[in-house]
Amino acid sequence: MSVAMVLMLAVMGLAFDFGRIYIARNEAQVFTDAAAMAAASKLDGTDAGLDRARQAVSRLPMRWNLGTKAFTGVRVEFSPDKQSWASVAAPDNQVEITFLRAVGGPAVFTVPAHSVAAAKPVRLIE
Amino acid sequence: MIELAVSAAVMVSCLAGTVQFGYTFYIYNELVTAVGNGGRYAAMRTYRAASPEDIEKGKAAIRNMVVYGDARPAAGAVPQVVHLKPEQIQVEWVMDESGKPAEVNVSVADYTVDAAFGMFRFAGRPAVEYPFVGRFAPSESEP
Repeated sequence: MSVAMVLMLAVMGLAFDFGRIYIARNEAQVFTDAAAMAAASKLDGTDAGLDRARQAVSRLPMRWNLGTKAFTGVRVEFSPDKQSWASVAAPDNQVEITFLRAVGGPAVFTVPAHSVAAAKPVRLIE
Repeated sequence: MIELAVSAAVMVSCLAGTVQFGYTFYIYNELVTAVGNGGRYAAMRTYRAASPEDIEKGKAAIRNMVVYGDARPAAGAVPQVVHLKPEQIQVEWVMDESGKPAEVNVSVADYTVDAAFGMFRFAGRPAVEYPFVGRFAPSESEP
């Protein structure tokens, strides 16, 4: 019975915890994609452009953990010339593990995401 | 026999919950991907606004991109997420002070996952906001 319970917890952990991890990973990637585009669209080679880019990223309303948690610790970086590209990283998305920790898994699992966008993207869509 | 009856009830409940949540998470993940792709498409496509009908056609193309992965799907196209329809996708443009599109919000307005043992409803999520980086063509019509 106890062996079956451990196996069942492991199966539930695979479905529940890995499901949440994959969703968080996807949500974070979509966020950094949008944030990098938002930041890159504000770049004009000036420090004021960098400030506008940082504000554009902080204003994005997107959330993670099934759309319930705000992104924290978001890092925004720019090309040295302040006008070519912007890079956004969301490194601190920690998913709390529910079932897998009962069978020896970690208590939290970090799912970082990172995107880079060009300020003048090649137009492939009409 | 009694032990089997008790443990079977627990195990079946746990397996039912596993199936239910696993399938719901799978569908939600698909929705996140679809909405993200639709948002990116909306951000980069040309905004044509010769008439209100053109703006509506543009929104329809974005909804089709979310649902079918194609702005102009063929007849009988299969949605990327089971039972998802274009009417369930909300597209909202945010204009700047000069009347040019600045941002686009794409979200799932209302979607219910039928996960065999229960239903989960998602209203207003997943949602994305992208900056508009496409071409602004206020006098052009949608093809």
